[in-house]
Amino acid sequence: MIERNNVVVSGSPQGRTVVFVHGFGCDQSMWRDVTPAFEADHRVVLYDLTGMGQSDLSAYDVARYDRLDAHAEDLLAILTEIDAHNAVVVGHSVGATIAVLAANEVMTKGTGRIGELILVSPSPCFYTDEEAGYAGGFARRDLEDLVKMLEDNHLGWSMQLAPTIAGQSADEVQADRLTQSFCRTDPGIAQHFGRVTFLGDHRADFEHLAAPSLVLHCDADALVPMTVAEWMRDRVPGTRVHVLNATGHCPHMTVPADVVAAMRDHLGEV
Amino acid sequence: MPDAGDVDRREVLVQLIDDAPCGIVSTDPDGRIQYLNSTLRKWLGGSPEVELKRFPDFLTGAGQLFYETHMAPMMRLQGFIREISCALDRRDAEPLPVLLSGVVRRNEAGEPTRFDYTIFDASERHAYEEELRVARRNADELAAIIRSSPNAIVRVDAGGRIGSWNAGAERLTGQGLASVLNKPIQDVIRLDARSAWFDEAIRDYAGSGEVVFEAQSALGLDFEVTLTPINEYNPTQTSVNWSVVLRDITQRKRAERHLNVMVGEMKHRVNNTLAVVSGIARQSLPKEHTPRFIARLRALAQAHEALAQSGSSGAELRQVLEFSAQEAGGAERFAVHGPDIWLSPQQSASLSMAFHELVTNGLKYGALSVPEGRVDVTYEWEDAMTSQEADTARRLAITWVESGGPPVAQPTRQGFGTKMIGTVLAAELDAEVTFDYRSTGFRCEIVFAPLTPD
Repeated sequence: MIERNNVVVSGSPQGRTVVFVHGFGCDQSMWRDVTPAFEADHRVVLYDLTGMGQSDLSAYDVARYDRLDAHAEDLLAILTEIDAHNAVVVGHSVGATIAVLAANEVMTKGTGRIGELILVSPSPCFYTDEEAGYAGGFARRDLEDLVKMLEDNHLGWSMQLAPTIAGQSADEVQADRLTQSFCRTDPGIAQHFGRVTFLGDHRADFEHLAAPSLVLHCDADALVPMTVAEWMRDRVPGTRVHVLNATGHCPHMTVPADVVAAMRDHLGEV
Repeated sequence: MPDAGDVDRREVLVQLIDDAPCGIVSTDPDGRIQYLNSTLRKWLGGSPEVELKRFPDFLTGAGQLFYETHMAPMMRLQGFIREISCALDRRDAEPLPVLLSGVVRRNEAGEPTRFDYTIFDASERHAYEEELRVARRNADELAAIIRSSPNAIVRVDAGGRIGSWNAGAERLTGQGLASVLNKPIQDVIRLDARSAWFDEAIRDYAGSGEVVFEAQSALGLDFEVTLTPINEYNPTQTSVNWSVVLRDITQRKRAERHLNVMVGEMKHRVNNTLAVVSGIARQSLPKEHTPRFIARLRALAQAHEALAQSGSSGAELRQVLEFSAQEAGGAERFAVHGPDIWLSPQQSASLSMAFHELVTNGLKYGALSVPEGRVDVTYEWEDAMTSQEADTARRLAITWVESGGPPVAQPTRQGFGTKMIGTVLAAELDAEVTFDYRSTGFRCEIVFAPLTPD
């Protein structure tokens, strides 16, 4: 399990456990500007979702990972393996949804593994449901196009692994190879995970969230409109929505200091 | 102060970038557009309002998702992205497929300050790749079918030299493709101890269709071999390639040979049994009955013989009637008219016995008992069926007409012969049998459904 999901534990072994769950399209490296701020007084746990980053790709069983619950089960297995209690789970985007599913399971079973959640740019459902008056931000068609586009990037994939730019020195090629390991994803898995991520609807899971949570929402998030943040404020029990002055979908990368401050403030650790 | 040369160079560079054969866009780390060259403006349709816009706003919805979840994080983490396939969302036209590469500029503190992208029109490449993807999917599918086929499937050139073969061929020969590549197939796979089976088969090729033959390999396995020319358009290929498929039919051939032995054995036993029964009859029956009984047995034996000659699959009705003609005294006293009708073994045995009874009756009491009397046997398909009968088998009517004999009288009791004919034919052929004892000559009609001819 530890090896399968490339689990990396750092920081203070006596501190409260904080587990970071990355989102679609990347891996645990996207937390690198946030985690150092917690290492002094927390046990920091990073891992790659099964099928992403440096995880064991052969463990990605398409039938099992057809539902996000499988990723939530993986998260719970990791929490058990490292014997976490009352942990803070920080999830980004679809990672936030995985955290919600895991927390609901923990509260049902009463294992006490998860204490609270910090949800970074979460979206219970990316597409608009006009009947329910829910503006998710995208039409289903856009999301289906994305899945198609992931197939297009299939051919570019092997090229990215073998950089051959004229005039590039051998050292640079080597450096490229190393850095290219960021956010590496098998194109087939990316396509499948993209479908599960963007065509899923987890509004009911958010509405029944059983753990206290903080939502960090960017005021200029290109993927999650403010209406979704308002929906969460009104519908998700025990949550507090904190709006960051940030553009894009990855505040932990663009305004990491603000994210750390908001997290610490919420955890009462200013 | 820059000198005149510097100014010139700067103008050249500005022109180069602004009118480059690719789109160029520069953004701040949040994606807000700082600069857009005129090539990209043209692609986006006239003069788009770029002020305060973010670069991902000019991508399709899918591209925006990919930008936010993958491209932007990649830029920050590794400092560049390369050849990402996405599409520009144009105001008045279809989305333009493009390839996007980007690089991050940083300040001295290492913080990102600018994201620069180059964008290449990939519409042609995109269409080509789409074709490739479809072709590859189809090819993968066909390859899987051929790979998993139990038959040996081989491609050879016009000279019969092996170009490629499947796992079935490897299993058959126990050799990998590498060790047989370019070797003549007729040397690698020996058939019927013929050294030139491929050349001979190609000679037999009629110019269309395929060549099919059965042959035995050096290891004693039987094969059905099919050769088909591979008629695919290929401008670089001057001579025709052949597909050779070898299907292992050893089991079937073994079963066939076994069956032939069994049939021979059966014929032998039936003949022996009939001989024994004749012997017993001669010893046990009263003298006056013996010739009649032996004659009946002989009719049965003849029916079996007719079957034996045509294999165990059945016999021609005409052939069955030929024996009756001989018994009746030759073709001038016994005429047969009708189409070719194929009978099952059962039908031909039953009809043989029935005709034997009719001939015997005719010789004793009927037309054949006088020199000028004769028999005409006519058979024909019944008239077109009504729709109700359409799904039942087509029926044949056999009419036996005697003429030129002594006047006929209605018999007072039914003899053994007619009783046998009625019972056996009804039971075994599901036939309708009618006897007509009109004074000008005896008649008999047998209506039944023969084997469907196929």
